[in-house]
Amino acid sequence: MTLTLEQLDRDEALLESIAILQGETRAGFLRKAALGSAGILAALAAPARAADSVSDVDILNFGLRFERLQATFYTQADELGTIHKMPAAKQRWAEVLGAHERAHVRILKKILGDKAGKRPFFDFHGVTETEDGFTRTAVAMEDLTVALLAGVTPRVHDRSLTAALFGLLTTEARHAAWARNIVGTTPVGRSVDRARTLDSVRGTVSRTRFIAAAPRMTRKRSRPHFTG
Amino acid sequence: MIASRRQALRAALGGAAIGGGALLGGWAAPQASLGKPSRAQDVRILSFLLVLEQAQSAFYDAALRSRALSGELLRFAQVVAPQEHDHVALLRRRLGGSARPAPRFEFRDATSSPARFRRAAIDLEEATAAAYIGQGASLTRDLVAEAAGIVAVEARHAAWIRDLAGALPAPRPADPARSPGDVLTDLRTKGYLR
Repeated sequence: MTLTLEQLDRDEALLESIAILQGETRAGFLRKAALGSAGILAALAAPARAADSVSDVDILNFGLRFERLQATFYTQADELGTIHKMPAAKQRWAEVLGAHERAHVRILKKILGDKAGKRPFFDFHGVTETEDGFTRTAVAMEDLTVALLAGVTPRVHDRSLTAALFGLLTTEARHAAWARNIVGTTPVGRSVDRARTLDSVRGTVSRTRFIAAAPRMTRKRSRPHFTG
Repeated sequence: MIASRRQALRAALGGAAIGGGALLGGWAAPQASLGKPSRAQDVRILSFLLVLEQAQSAFYDAALRSRALSGELLRFAQVVAPQEHDHVALLRRRLGGSARPAPRFEFRDATSSPARFRRAAIDLEEATAAAYIGQGASLTRDLVAEAAGIVAVEARHAAWIRDLAGALPAPRPADPARSPGDVLTDLRTKGYLR
């Protein structure tokens, strides 16, 4: 089944962000685009509006959505007992990362105040239920967060926010290195971490289909299996 | 809005203060205040960061020459050394004619055993990451982007060596900044910097 952004993004939180960052025309085009299609990738990779026209609030709200994605991921794996079943060293790793991502959500919410965007719904398609799925997803997500933060930090206008984002970026980089060491991959693959734009990271998030249109109900549980 | 946002930030991050000044080899280390980004300020900041990258390069080169390392520690040094060299080269390119030669470092003791190597590597990686956090936001925008890419790698190094040393790789939800004066005094006190 091929999902469109419109099908996944039922509350239009993502499309709204894209409209702000890239304009209504592009958002309208992306609405019907299939996730993972060449069209959406090309559109997302194309230059966004000039950096100066994107507000700090927009950037921080995308950051908040991303931190919520991560916090929900670790919290859910914890609640499902997935983390508890892992070896001690991995448990410690997963618990520390979860605590940090929840702290990042609190920090960004505090900075944004009443400008904080509403919470999107997430569907992890079962990867929080197995150690293997959890671990692989965690490694990918931490590297993606490093790229996102390296990309947005220079675009923020308020220099006190830039300084704060540096401190979050280094924490995410530590997470990524730790995760990679746990799975036996070289913790640092290049001399300079490649920056990615908001758009290219958003594309990757969409392709993994973690941002869902509405809570997915499972047969086993009568409530949505997430708490983000 | 901005003022309250700053207050919220300080509260949330535990007041990662940026401050102090120091003299090293005739150049003034950057001051605390987030002055308006300028080429002159870029040169002061990059010159300070270059000293730290030169220190790390010299340290890993000495460690690899010492033959005191094996296994995972050796692999760590082999991966990290060329990355620090790249950082030195990148900063020197950005400084152009303003780049200064490396000061004198002393790493013979620090590379004499695996335990000492681990301790010194953690000291240097943590100091460098904290220095970038403290100074990065005061650079002009293109250099902020480069500093972000570099500091992420320094933080990865710090996490990796901490993991190899049995320490928590990511000890805090948000890393603090350190002032140039604090960083340089620390490196001198530990005997790495003459």
